[in-house]
Amino acid sequence: MESSGADRPLPRALVARFAEVVGESSCISDPAALRTYECDALAGFRVRPGLVVLPRSTDEVVAVVMLARAAGLPIVPRGSGTGLSGGALPVPGCVVLGLSRMKRILEIDLDNQWMRVEPGVINLEISRRLAPHGYYYAPDPSSQQVCTIGGNVAENSGGAHCLKYGFTTNHVLGATMVLADGAVVQLGGPVLDATGYDLRSALVGSEGMLGVVTEVVLRILRAPQATRTFFATFPSTSEAGQAVSLIVAAGIVPAAIEMMDRLAIRAIVAATGVDWPDVGAALLMDVDGTAAEVEHTASEATRLVREAGALEVRVPRDPTERDVMWRGRKSAFAAMGRISPNYVVQDGVIPRSDIARVLLEIEGLSARSGLRIANVFHAGDGNLHPLILYDAAVPGQEQLAEETGAEILRMCVRAGGSITGEHGVGADKAASMAEMFSEDDLATMNLVRCAFDPETRFNPGKVFPTPRLCGDRPGPYVAHTAELAGLAGRG
Amino acid sequence: MATTSRPGEVRDAVAGAVPERVFEPVNADECTEVMAREGGRIGFIGGGTELALGSAPAALDAVVRTGRMSRILEYAPADMVLIAEAGVTLAQVQAVARQEGQMLALDPPLPERATLGGLVATGGFGPRRARYGAIRDLILGVALVRADGVLARGGGKVVKNVAGFDLPKLLCGSLGTLGLIAEATFRLHPLPEASATAMCAGLTAAQVVALMADARQAQLEPSSGVALRGGGGFDLGIRFDGFAAGVREQVTRMGAIARAAGLSCEIVADDAAARRRHDQARVAGPLRVKLTALPARLAEVDALLAPVLAALAGGSFAWYPSLGIGFAGGEVADEAAASAALAVARASLVAAGGSLVVEAAPPGLRSIDPWGPPPPAFALMTALKQRFDPDGRLNPGRFVGGL
Repeated sequence: MESSGADRPLPRALVARFAEVVGESSCISDPAALRTYECDALAGFRVRPGLVVLPRSTDEVVAVVMLARAAGLPIVPRGSGTGLSGGALPVPGCVVLGLSRMKRILEIDLDNQWMRVEPGVINLEISRRLAPHGYYYAPDPSSQQVCTIGGNVAENSGGAHCLKYGFTTNHVLGATMVLADGAVVQLGGPVLDATGYDLRSALVGSEGMLGVVTEVVLRILRAPQATRTFFATFPSTSEAGQAVSLIVAAGIVPAAIEMMDRLAIRAIVAATGVDWPDVGAALLMDVDGTAAEVEHTASEATRLVREAGALEVRVPRDPTERDVMWRGRKSAFAAMGRISPNYVVQDGVIPRSDIARVLLEIEGLSARSGLRIANVFHAGDGNLHPLILYDAAVPGQEQLAEETGAEILRMCVRAGGSITGEHGVGADKAASMAEMFSEDDLATMNLVRCAFDPETRFNPGKVFPTPRLCGDRPGPYVAHTAELAGLAGRG
Repeated sequence: MATTSRPGEVRDAVAGAVPERVFEPVNADECTEVMAREGGRIGFIGGGTELALGSAPAALDAVVRTGRMSRILEYAPADMVLIAEAGVTLAQVQAVARQEGQMLALDPPLPERATLGGLVATGGFGPRRARYGAIRDLILGVALVRADGVLARGGGKVVKNVAGFDLPKLLCGSLGTLGLIAEATFRLHPLPEASATAMCAGLTAAQVVALMADARQAQLEPSSGVALRGGGGFDLGIRFDGFAAGVREQVTRMGAIARAAGLSCEIVADDAAARRRHDQARVAGPLRVKLTALPARLAEVDALLAPVLAALAGGSFAWYPSLGIGFAGGEVADEAAASAALAVARASLVAAGGSLVVEAAPPGLRSIDPWGPPPPAFALMTALKQRFDPDGRLNPGRFVGGL
């Protein structure tokens, strides 16, 4: 895969100026320490940054941005680095702007159902803080114990429960961000329908390419009165897929429906010890709402699951057992380590009604490539997570796994879906963007980026399949000194 | 040439500006032809329900009407996704979706006239936004024809999709200043099996806020709420949608909660009468105002609005209590008093992070800036406009701050 060639350290005097802003202990330039920041959770892509700074306030972020700009250095924002698409992959010699130390919860307004947080706050921490009051924050990516809200905003993170409750974008009311010229701007806020363009909508999911978010206003929800979880097993993914279709056709919107195939179940059992049987497929499902509504939807969904050919339907006896079931599902990716030395995960989306057909195609692809493919996915919204297992020690396997992943994405696009449902495009899938979007589509997206960041200072090289600049309209384009020196790429 | 123009007439006016020429393309391809060829200043008209919205454009050379772009292009009931041309009306979509037990969860007034393109451009919504979100939460994809005639697509046709910047959402509420919305893709929802509404009459603003808070505390999940200002206070309708058993239980509990608060609420299966009253309030004129504030501040909003309503003859005020958005309007009896009261209300709402937008005004009140002070990120908005429409040809001057 990719690796950095430009490992030239930044001039000591320049590093010292960043250290003056954020403090010595928050300014990392030691080559060994920089290694931690070479990649995110997509560890195959690695690039050594020039510097890592960990500011503690919006003012410090502004100062860092201004310094980087003056020095002509690209800026790569970073949360916890749990992203799976290389969205926080540094570019050579860049400043990685880590937001993990900005982790204060600034304001909670239960009456009006919003809160204001700094970007480094951990996703799950928010719901923990709200739980005593009976409120929660809905988006729940599987990495929620470690991922940050800032990262969630950058990637428009989803999670199992976004089927009913929506994604990060549906729960971000506003943000404070720092632009490339150091300006601090407010987009949206706790009051709905701020006048003017809905720039917040452009910001969420922009993968750190528009600026640095330093505060986020989130919508918070009252916890539902009741939640019912059940786990159903099936002979194969066809019956499981049929069950999902029947439930949706009955007008039931489950809070979550997760599907796992045999290989995924085996890996999860091996990793977590959960007592799931060795079956062709399983569904883990939540329905929630008021008690009476849930009574109805749970019994109706159970009936439909049986009608579709379920082997067994299990209902957890208590919250602990429910947690064990969900922990099983949420540890699926990590569990692959138990059955394979390496894996690649994809994040393609297909129309829900096409699940059975596409799974068969993936099976065919697995047979042709000789690589095992486990499937864990958000069945309710057709968001596949095929895990392509390989052994990096076997020459050629890694590349074969990559190619197989790219072919699955092409299958998703052909089926009318998307190359990414929640992980983001990042560095990983930038090339696949051209499969889904025309040159005109991409150029139009670039107009948005250029409005925010005409110098393409933030996170260059992500999302777009080919490097692009912003042209000289509306303001004059000034080349970075680093660019002139061949140090920094643009994209 | 696939598209020819006809001379503009008064009925083709956008925010008061009558265009020289009118184009009526039949599909996205024809839109690109028109936009590529028409070098002048262009406005867009869908169903014409919000033509008064915004400042008057300096002048318009051309208007593109989307009425002939009236095809539903794709509808996959199993996937609950529908793709349609901009000129398709909301009622048309609902009629098709209803046959499959589904709906587009948008309920603005005038669904027979309001088009999808217009709803996206104006960010249209009704009470159901409380449960299903705004149009930005329902849109999945868009085909946009830029000022230079380039057709660009954003988003996709699956509910879950984070590939690229979210163009569809960004276009919601952009009022035809970034391009012509030619097609849009939406997620649909199941039609609820049953509905019931708790109607509570004569509440004070504080009682509205308290009752909504009690309902939330009790973990009830209303699909919408509307508080209509009458002479005797607010008439609050709290509606529940869903499966019959759940709806029955919720509305019964709602009634009990109201009684415990010393209020008496009537449970009605059909809230059509209240809905009509709401729709009338939403389309009342010639003055129409949209205001926003944190939901718990209704009492302050009500106090700010009292002098506005006093300057109207037969004024109305509809408030969405869980969203913090209200609409007021009516005949203006005293222009000077109305103008002064609007200025005071706007200043106070803006200071509290909200807004007051004059959506329509009689001639005597058109000197009021419809949008109010430019928002904090106005410089960024200007940059966006310049990137999409560098020559400032699309609805010039109509949007916030003259964008």
